[in-house]
Amino acid sequence: MSEPRFSPHLAPYDNQLRRGRPLSPHLQVYRFALTMFLSITHRVTGVGVVLGTVMVMVWLGTAAAGPETYAAAQGFFGSWVGVFLILAWSAATLYHLASGIRFLMWDIGKGFGVEGARRSGIVLAVVWAVLTAVVWAIGFAAW
Amino acid sequence: MVQFTLPAHSRIAKGRDWPAPAGAKRPKTFSIYRFDPDSGDNPRMDRFTLDLDDCGPMVLDALIKIKNEIDPTLTFRRSCREGICGSCSMNIDGLNTLACLKPIEEVKGEVKIHPLPHLPVVKDLVPDLTHLYAQYQSVEPWMKTDTPAPPGKERPQSPEERERLDGLWECVLCFSCSASCPSYWWSGSRYLGPAILLQAARWVFDSRDEAKPERLDALDDPFKLFRCHTIFNCTNTCPKGLDPAKAIADLKREVFKRAE
Repeated sequence: MSEPRFSPHLAPYDNQLRRGRPLSPHLQVYRFALTMFLSITHRVTGVGVVLGTVMVMVWLGTAAAGPETYAAAQGFFGSWVGVFLILAWSAATLYHLASGIRFLMWDIGKGFGVEGARRSGIVLAVVWAVLTAVVWAIGFAAW
Repeated sequence: MVQFTLPAHSRIAKGRDWPAPAGAKRPKTFSIYRFDPDSGDNPRMDRFTLDLDDCGPMVLDALIKIKNEIDPTLTFRRSCREGICGSCSMNIDGLNTLACLKPIEEVKGEVKIHPLPHLPVVKDLVPDLTHLYAQYQSVEPWMKTDTPAPPGKERPQSPEERERLDGLWECVLCFSCSASCPSYWWSGSRYLGPAILLQAARWVFDSRDEAKPERLDALDDPFKLFRCHTIFNCTNTCPKGLDPAKAIADLKREVFKRAE
Protein backbone atom coordinates (compact mmCIF):
# COMPACT_ATOMS: atom_id res chain seq x y z
CA MET A 1 0.00 0.00 0.00
CA SER A 2 1.19 3.50 -0.69
CA GLU A 3 2.30 5.80 2.10
CA PRO A 4 0.39 9.03 2.70
CA ARG A 5 1.78 11.58 0.27
CA PHE A 6 1.71 14.33 2.82
CA SER A 7 4.86 14.20 4.97
CA PRO A 8 4.21 10.86 6.67
CA HIS A 9 6.92 11.49 9.23
CA LEU A 10 5.33 14.56 10.71
CA ALA A 11 2.22 14.84 12.80
CA PRO A 12 -0.51 16.51 10.72
CA TYR A 13 -0.41 19.61 12.86
CA ASP A 14 3.39 19.89 12.63
CA ASN A 15 3.07 20.52 8.91
CA GLN A 16 0.28 22.95 9.42
CA LEU A 17 1.46 24.76 12.51
CA ARG A 18 4.39 25.97 10.46
CA ARG A 19 1.91 27.85 8.32
CA GLY A 20 0.72 29.63 11.44
CA ARG A 21 -2.39 27.55 11.84
CA PRO A 22 -3.49 26.97 15.41
CA LEU A 23 -4.07 23.53 16.88
CA SER A 24 -7.71 23.04 17.83
CA PRO A 25 -8.31 22.42 21.54
CA HIS A 26 -8.50 18.76 22.60
CA LEU A 27 -8.15 17.77 26.29
CA GLN A 28 -9.15 21.34 27.11
CA VAL A 29 -12.65 20.90 25.69
CA TYR A 30 -13.33 17.17 25.37
CA ARG A 31 -15.95 15.84 27.73
CA PHE A 32 -14.57 13.18 30.04
CA ALA A 33 -16.46 9.88 29.95
CA LEU A 34 -16.27 6.91 32.34
CA THR A 35 -14.60 4.79 29.63
CA MET A 36 -11.93 7.44 29.07
CA PHE A 37 -11.25 7.73 32.79
CA LEU A 38 -10.95 3.96 33.27
CA SER A 39 -8.60 3.75 30.29
CA ILE A 40 -6.15 6.38 31.51
CA THR A 41 -6.37 4.88 35.01
CA HIS A 42 -5.23 1.55 33.54
CA ARG A 43 -2.12 3.23 32.24
CA VAL A 44 -1.39 5.19 35.41
CA THR A 45 -1.85 2.12 37.62
CA GLY A 46 0.41 0.18 35.22
CA VAL A 47 3.23 2.58 36.04
CA GLY A 48 2.33 2.36 39.74
CA VAL A 49 2.45 -1.44 39.65
CA VAL A 50 5.98 -1.44 38.26
CA LEU A 51 7.27 1.15 40.75
CA GLY A 52 5.51 -0.62 43.63
CA THR A 53 6.95 -3.97 42.62
CA VAL A 54 10.45 -2.48 42.75
CA MET A 55 9.58 -1.17 46.21
CA VAL A 56 8.50 -4.63 47.40
CA MET A 57 11.60 -6.24 45.87
CA VAL A 58 13.80 -3.81 47.79
CA TRP A 59 11.89 -4.68 50.95
CA LEU A 60 12.51 -8.39 50.35
CA GLY A 61 16.14 -7.63 49.55
CA THR A 62 16.65 -6.04 52.97
CA ALA A 63 15.92 -9.42 54.53
CA ALA A 64 19.07 -10.74 52.82
CA ALA A 65 21.10 -7.70 53.83
CA GLY A 66 21.08 -8.50 57.56
CA PRO A 67 18.83 -8.11 60.58
CA GLU A 68 19.53 -4.39 61.15
CA THR A 69 18.66 -3.42 57.56
CA TYR A 70 15.56 -5.59 57.67
CA ALA A 71 14.45 -4.06 60.97
CA ALA A 72 14.86 -0.59 59.46
CA ALA A 73 12.77 -1.61 56.45
CA GLN A 74 10.12 -3.14 58.71
CA GLY A 75 10.06 0.11 60.64
CA PHE A 76 9.51 2.09 57.45
CA PHE A 77 6.80 -0.17 56.06
CA GLY A 78 5.09 -0.12 59.47
CA SER A 79 4.96 3.68 59.43
CA TRP A 80 1.97 5.46 57.96
CA VAL A 81 3.95 6.38 54.86
CA GLY A 82 4.90 2.73 54.31
CA VAL A 83 1.37 1.50 54.92
CA PHE A 84 0.05 4.09 52.48
CA LEU A 85 2.53 2.98 49.80
CA ILE A 86 1.52 -0.66 50.23
CA LEU A 87 -2.17 0.19 50.12
CA ALA A 88 -1.66 2.26 46.97
CA TRP A 89 0.42 -0.44 45.33
CA SER A 90 -2.08 -3.19 46.10
CA ALA A 91 -5.01 -1.07 44.93
CA ALA A 92 -3.16 -0.24 41.69
CA THR A 93 -2.22 -3.87 41.09
CA LEU A 94 -5.79 -5.07 41.59
CA TYR A 95 -7.14 -2.35 39.31
CA HIS A 96 -4.61 -3.15 36.60
CA LEU A 97 -5.45 -6.87 36.91
CA ALA A 98 -9.21 -6.39 36.67
CA SER A 99 -8.89 -3.80 33.93
CA GLY A 100 -6.49 -6.03 32.01
CA ILE A 101 -9.10 -8.79 31.98
CA ARG A 102 -11.58 -6.27 30.55
CA PHE A 103 -9.13 -5.56 27.73
CA LEU A 104 -8.80 -9.31 27.09
CA MET A 105 -12.59 -9.48 26.81
CA TRP A 106 -12.45 -6.88 24.04
CA ASP A 107 -9.56 -8.73 22.40
CA ILE A 108 -11.78 -11.79 21.99
CA GLY A 109 -14.48 -9.57 20.51
CA LYS A 110 -16.96 -9.27 23.40
CA GLY A 111 -18.52 -6.28 25.13
CA PHE A 112 -18.60 -3.69 22.36
CA GLY A 113 -21.05 -0.89 21.71
CA VAL A 114 -21.58 2.20 23.83
CA GLU A 115 -23.66 0.20 26.31
CA GLY A 116 -21.25 -2.74 26.43
CA ALA A 117 -18.30 -0.54 27.29
CA ARG A 118 -20.24 1.41 29.89
CA ARG A 119 -21.58 -1.73 31.55
CA SER A 120 -18.20 -3.47 31.74
CA GLY A 121 -16.76 -0.23 33.10
CA ILE A 122 -19.21 -0.25 35.99
CA VAL A 123 -18.51 -3.96 36.61
CA LEU A 124 -14.80 -3.15 36.64
CA ALA A 125 -15.23 -0.37 39.21
CA VAL A 126 -17.29 -2.64 41.49
CA VAL A 127 -14.99 -5.68 41.13
CA TRP A 128 -11.96 -3.50 41.84
CA ALA A 129 -13.53 -1.99 44.96
CA VAL A 130 -14.55 -5.39 46.33
CA LEU A 131 -11.19 -7.05 45.56
CA THR A 132 -9.31 -4.18 47.15
CA ALA A 133 -11.49 -4.23 50.26
CA VAL A 134 -11.00 -8.00 50.65
CA VAL A 135 -7.22 -7.86 50.15
CA TRP A 136 -6.85 -4.95 52.56
CA ALA A 137 -9.05 -6.70 55.15
CA ILE A 138 -6.92 -9.86 54.92
CA GLY A 139 -3.76 -7.76 55.08
CA PHE A 140 -4.78 -5.83 58.16
CA ALA A 141 -6.11 -8.99 59.85
CA ALA A 142 -2.77 -10.72 59.33
CA TRP A 143 -0.72 -7.70 60.39
CA MET B 1 4.18 13.52 20.67
CA VAL B 2 2.06 13.83 23.75
CA GLN B 3 1.55 17.49 24.46
CA PHE B 4 -1.23 18.20 26.90
CA THR B 5 -1.33 21.98 26.52
CA LEU B 6 -1.95 24.05 23.44
CA PRO B 7 0.94 25.82 21.66
CA ALA B 8 1.13 29.54 22.48
CA HIS B 9 -0.43 30.73 19.22
CA SER B 10 -3.32 28.26 19.65
CA ARG B 11 -4.49 29.48 23.07
CA ILE B 12 -7.98 30.81 23.03
CA ALA B 13 -8.73 34.42 23.89
CA LYS B 14 -12.03 36.00 24.88
CA GLY B 15 -13.96 37.22 21.86
CA ARG B 16 -16.91 39.36 21.00
CA ASP B 17 -20.33 39.28 22.61
CA TRP B 18 -23.43 39.51 20.42
CA PRO B 19 -26.41 40.16 22.71
CA ALA B 20 -29.82 38.56 22.42
CA PRO B 21 -32.25 40.16 19.96
CA ALA B 22 -34.74 42.52 21.57
CA GLY B 23 -37.76 40.70 22.98
CA ALA B 24 -36.19 37.22 22.79
CA LYS B 25 -38.44 34.74 24.62
CA ARG B 26 -36.09 31.74 24.67
CA PRO B 27 -32.57 33.13 24.50
CA LYS B 28 -29.77 30.60 24.00
CA THR B 29 -26.10 31.47 23.87
CA PHE B 30 -23.70 29.84 21.43
CA SER B 31 -20.04 30.19 22.28
CA ILE B 32 -18.15 29.59 19.06
CA TYR B 33 -14.45 29.13 18.32
CA ARG B 34 -13.20 31.74 15.87
CA PHE B 35 -9.88 31.92 14.11
CA ASP B 36 -9.12 34.41 11.37
CA PRO B 37 -5.97 33.41 9.45
CA ASP B 38 -5.62 36.91 7.98
CA SER B 39 -5.49 38.77 11.29
CA GLY B 40 -2.56 36.96 12.88
CA ASP B 41 -4.46 36.99 16.18
CA ASN B 42 -4.95 33.99 18.44
CA PRO B 43 -8.23 32.08 18.23
CA ARG B 44 -11.07 33.50 20.32
CA MET B 45 -14.51 32.49 21.56
CA ASP B 46 -17.35 34.67 20.23
CA ARG B 47 -20.70 34.49 22.01
CA PHE B 48 -23.91 34.79 20.00
CA THR B 49 -27.30 34.81 21.70
CA LEU B 50 -30.27 33.70 19.58
CA ASP B 51 -33.96 33.39 20.24
CA LEU B 52 -34.81 29.69 19.93
CA ASP B 53 -38.39 30.62 18.99
CA ASP B 54 -36.91 32.08 15.82
CA CYS B 55 -34.43 29.31 14.97
CA GLY B 56 -34.44 25.74 13.63
CA PRO B 57 -34.00 22.82 16.03
CA MET B 58 -30.46 21.72 15.22
CA VAL B 59 -27.09 23.28 16.03
CA LEU B 60 -26.47 23.63 12.28
CA ASP B 61 -29.64 25.72 11.99
CA ALA B 62 -28.22 28.07 14.62
CA LEU B 63 -24.87 28.31 12.83
CA ILE B 64 -26.56 29.10 9.52
CA LYS B 65 -28.75 31.69 11.22
CA ILE B 66 -25.72 33.36 12.78
CA LYS B 67 -23.92 33.40 9.44
CA ASN B 68 -26.97 34.77 7.59
CA GLU B 69 -28.13 37.34 10.11
CA ILE B 70 -25.36 38.27 12.54
CA ASP B 71 -21.83 37.60 11.34
CA PRO B 72 -21.33 36.54 7.71
CA THR B 73 -17.63 35.85 8.35
CA LEU B 74 -18.46 32.79 10.50
CA THR B 75 -16.96 29.86 8.60
CA PHE B 76 -17.95 26.20 8.77
CA ARG B 77 -18.48 23.26 6.45
CA ARG B 78 -21.98 22.03 5.73
CA SER B 79 -23.91 20.56 2.89
CA CYS B 80 -26.74 18.03 3.18
CA ARG B 81 -28.12 19.04 6.63
CA GLU B 82 -29.30 15.45 7.21
CA GLY B 83 -26.29 13.45 8.41
CA ILE B 84 -25.30 11.94 5.08
CA CYS B 85 -22.51 14.13 3.76
CA GLY B 86 -20.40 14.24 6.93
CA SER B 87 -19.30 17.84 6.37
CA CYS B 88 -20.48 19.59 9.52
CA SER B 89 -18.56 17.50 12.06
CA MET B 90 -17.37 19.57 15.00
CA ASN B 91 -17.03 19.47 18.76
CA ILE B 92 -20.33 20.48 20.34
CA ASP B 93 -20.73 20.52 24.10
CA GLY B 94 -17.51 18.50 24.48
CA LEU B 95 -18.38 15.69 22.06
CA ASN B 96 -17.65 15.38 18.36
CA THR B 97 -20.76 15.06 16.26
CA LEU B 98 -22.55 16.36 13.18
CA ALA B 99 -24.06 19.80 13.82
CA CYS B 100 -27.03 18.87 11.61
CA LEU B 101 -27.92 15.87 13.79
CA LYS B 102 -27.38 17.57 17.16
CA PRO B 103 -30.57 19.07 18.63
CA ILE B 104 -29.92 22.36 20.42
CA GLU B 105 -32.30 21.21 23.16
CA GLU B 106 -29.88 18.42 24.14
CA VAL B 107 -27.32 20.95 25.35
CA LYS B 108 -27.87 22.42 28.78
CA GLY B 109 -26.77 26.02 29.20
CA GLU B 110 -24.39 27.65 26.77
CA VAL B 111 -23.69 25.70 23.57
CA LYS B 112 -19.92 25.52 23.22
CA ILE B 113 -18.74 24.80 19.68
CA HIS B 114 -15.13 24.04 18.73
CA PRO B 115 -13.61 22.60 15.58
CA LEU B 116 -12.75 18.88 15.59
CA PRO B 117 -10.07 18.46 18.30
CA HIS B 118 -6.32 18.34 17.79
CA LEU B 119 -6.25 19.35 14.15
CA PRO B 120 -4.76 22.41 12.44
CA VAL B 121 -7.45 25.04 11.98
CA VAL B 122 -7.83 26.68 8.57
CA LYS B 123 -10.51 29.10 9.73
CA ASP B 124 -13.13 29.11 12.53
CA LEU B 125 -14.74 25.65 12.56
CA VAL B 126 -12.89 24.36 9.50
CA PRO B 127 -10.01 22.01 10.36
CA ASP B 128 -7.44 20.86 7.84
CA LEU B 129 -8.21 17.23 6.97
CA THR B 130 -5.37 16.72 4.48
CA HIS B 131 -3.56 14.18 6.62
CA LEU B 132 -6.74 12.19 7.28
CA TYR B 133 -7.50 12.01 3.56
CA ALA B 134 -3.91 10.94 2.86
CA GLN B 135 -4.26 8.19 5.45
CA TYR B 136 -7.58 7.17 3.90
CA GLN B 137 -5.87 6.91 0.54
CA SER B 138 -3.14 4.78 2.10
CA VAL B 139 -5.57 1.93 2.88
CA GLU B 140 -6.57 1.79 -0.80
CA PRO B 141 -10.31 2.04 -0.21
CA TRP B 142 -11.54 0.35 -3.35
CA MET B 143 -12.22 -3.25 -4.35
CA LYS B 144 -9.16 -5.06 -5.56
CA THR B 145 -9.49 -8.27 -7.57
CA ASP B 146 -7.37 -10.58 -9.67
CA THR B 147 -10.11 -12.76 -11.10
CA PRO B 148 -12.41 -11.33 -13.74
CA ALA B 149 -16.01 -10.57 -12.82
CA PRO B 150 -18.65 -12.94 -14.25
CA PRO B 151 -19.34 -11.77 -17.81
CA GLY B 152 -22.07 -9.16 -18.00
CA LYS B 153 -22.76 -9.33 -14.26
CA GLU B 154 -21.72 -7.91 -10.94
CA ARG B 155 -19.66 -9.98 -8.52
CA PRO B 156 -22.13 -12.10 -6.55
CA GLN B 157 -22.39 -11.77 -2.78
CA SER B 158 -24.66 -13.77 -0.49
CA PRO B 159 -26.99 -11.93 1.89
CA GLU B 160 -24.82 -13.13 4.80
CA GLU B 161 -21.64 -11.85 3.16
CA ARG B 162 -23.34 -8.54 2.53
CA GLU B 163 -24.51 -8.38 6.14
CA ARG B 164 -20.89 -8.53 7.30
CA LEU B 165 -20.51 -5.00 5.94
CA ASP B 166 -23.37 -3.57 8.00
CA GLY B 167 -22.02 -1.10 10.52
CA LEU B 168 -19.08 -0.39 8.19
CA TRP B 169 -20.56 0.93 4.95
CA GLU B 170 -22.66 3.59 6.73
CA CYS B 171 -19.59 5.64 7.69
CA VAL B 172 -19.72 9.12 6.13
CA LEU B 173 -16.07 9.96 6.86
CA CYS B 174 -16.86 12.92 9.09
CA PHE B 175 -13.79 12.04 11.23
CA SER B 176 -15.63 12.72 14.50
CA CYS B 177 -14.15 9.45 15.82
CA SER B 178 -10.54 10.03 14.76
CA ALA B 179 -10.62 13.53 16.25
CA SER B 180 -12.02 12.12 19.52
CA CYS B 181 -9.28 9.54 19.99
CA PRO B 182 -6.48 10.43 22.45
CA SER B 183 -4.29 7.86 20.75
CA TYR B 184 -4.84 9.64 17.46
CA TRP B 185 -4.16 12.98 19.15
CA TRP B 186 -0.75 11.80 20.37
CA SER B 187 0.26 9.51 17.48
CA GLY B 188 -1.79 10.76 14.55
CA SER B 189 1.20 10.95 12.26
CA ARG B 190 1.56 7.18 12.23
CA TYR B 191 -1.58 5.71 13.82
CA LEU B 192 -4.36 5.49 11.24
CA GLY B 193 -7.12 6.28 13.72
CA PRO B 194 -10.65 4.85 14.03
CA ALA B 195 -12.23 6.34 10.88
CA ILE B 196 -9.56 5.02 8.55
CA LEU B 197 -9.39 1.65 10.29
CA LEU B 198 -13.15 1.23 10.06
CA GLN B 199 -12.80 1.90 6.34
CA ALA B 200 -9.95 -0.60 6.14
CA ALA B 201 -12.24 -3.16 7.82
CA ARG B 202 -14.93 -2.37 5.29
CA TRP B 203 -12.62 -3.77 2.56
CA VAL B 204 -10.91 -6.50 4.59
CA PHE B 205 -14.29 -8.05 5.39
CA ASP B 206 -15.77 -7.63 1.90
CA SER B 207 -16.22 -11.14 0.48
CA ARG B 208 -15.61 -9.87 -3.05
CA ASP B 209 -12.25 -8.29 -2.32
CA GLU B 210 -9.22 -10.43 -3.20
CA ALA B 211 -6.46 -8.38 -1.58
CA LYS B 212 -7.11 -9.32 2.04
CA PRO B 213 -3.60 -10.73 2.72
CA GLU B 214 -1.89 -7.59 1.40
CA ARG B 215 -4.33 -5.38 3.30
CA LEU B 216 -3.56 -7.23 6.56
CA ASP B 217 0.17 -7.09 5.81
CA ALA B 218 -0.04 -3.34 5.53
CA LEU B 219 -2.03 -3.01 8.76
CA ASP B 220 0.19 -5.34 10.82
CA ASP B 221 2.21 -2.53 12.31
CA PRO B 222 2.74 -1.33 15.88
CA PHE B 223 1.46 2.11 14.95
CA LYS B 224 -0.99 1.94 12.05
CA LEU B 225 -3.35 -0.51 13.76
CA PHE B 226 -2.02 -1.38 17.18
CA ARG B 227 -1.98 2.13 18.65
CA CYS B 228 -5.65 1.50 19.37
CA HIS B 229 -5.92 1.05 23.14
CA THR B 230 -9.68 0.53 23.17
CA ILE B 231 -10.33 3.87 24.86
CA PHE B 232 -13.81 3.85 23.26
CA ASN B 233 -14.09 7.57 22.54
CA CYS B 234 -14.69 6.69 18.87
CA THR B 235 -17.72 4.52 19.53
CA ASN B 236 -19.05 6.92 22.15
CA THR B 237 -18.92 9.86 19.76
CA CYS B 238 -19.93 8.41 16.35
CA PRO B 239 -22.92 10.47 15.12
CA LYS B 240 -24.00 7.56 12.93
CA GLY B 241 -24.05 5.10 15.86
CA LEU B 242 -21.29 2.93 14.41
CA ASP B 243 -18.72 1.02 16.44
CA PRO B 244 -15.19 1.76 15.20
CA ALA B 245 -13.72 0.19 18.36
CA LYS B 246 -15.25 -3.13 17.32
CA ALA B 247 -14.13 -2.79 13.71
CA ILE B 248 -10.56 -2.24 14.93
CA ALA B 249 -10.75 -5.20 17.34
CA ASP B 250 -11.98 -7.36 14.44
CA LEU B 251 -8.99 -6.25 12.36
CA LYS B 252 -6.59 -7.04 15.21
CA ARG B 253 -8.07 -10.53 15.54
CA GLU B 254 -7.85 -11.03 11.78
CA VAL B 255 -4.14 -10.20 11.95
CA PHE B 256 -3.66 -12.63 14.86
CA LYS B 257 -5.60 -15.40 13.11
CA ARG B 258 -3.25 -15.21 10.19
CA ALA B 259 -0.22 -15.53 12.46
CA GLU B 260 -1.48 -18.80 14.00
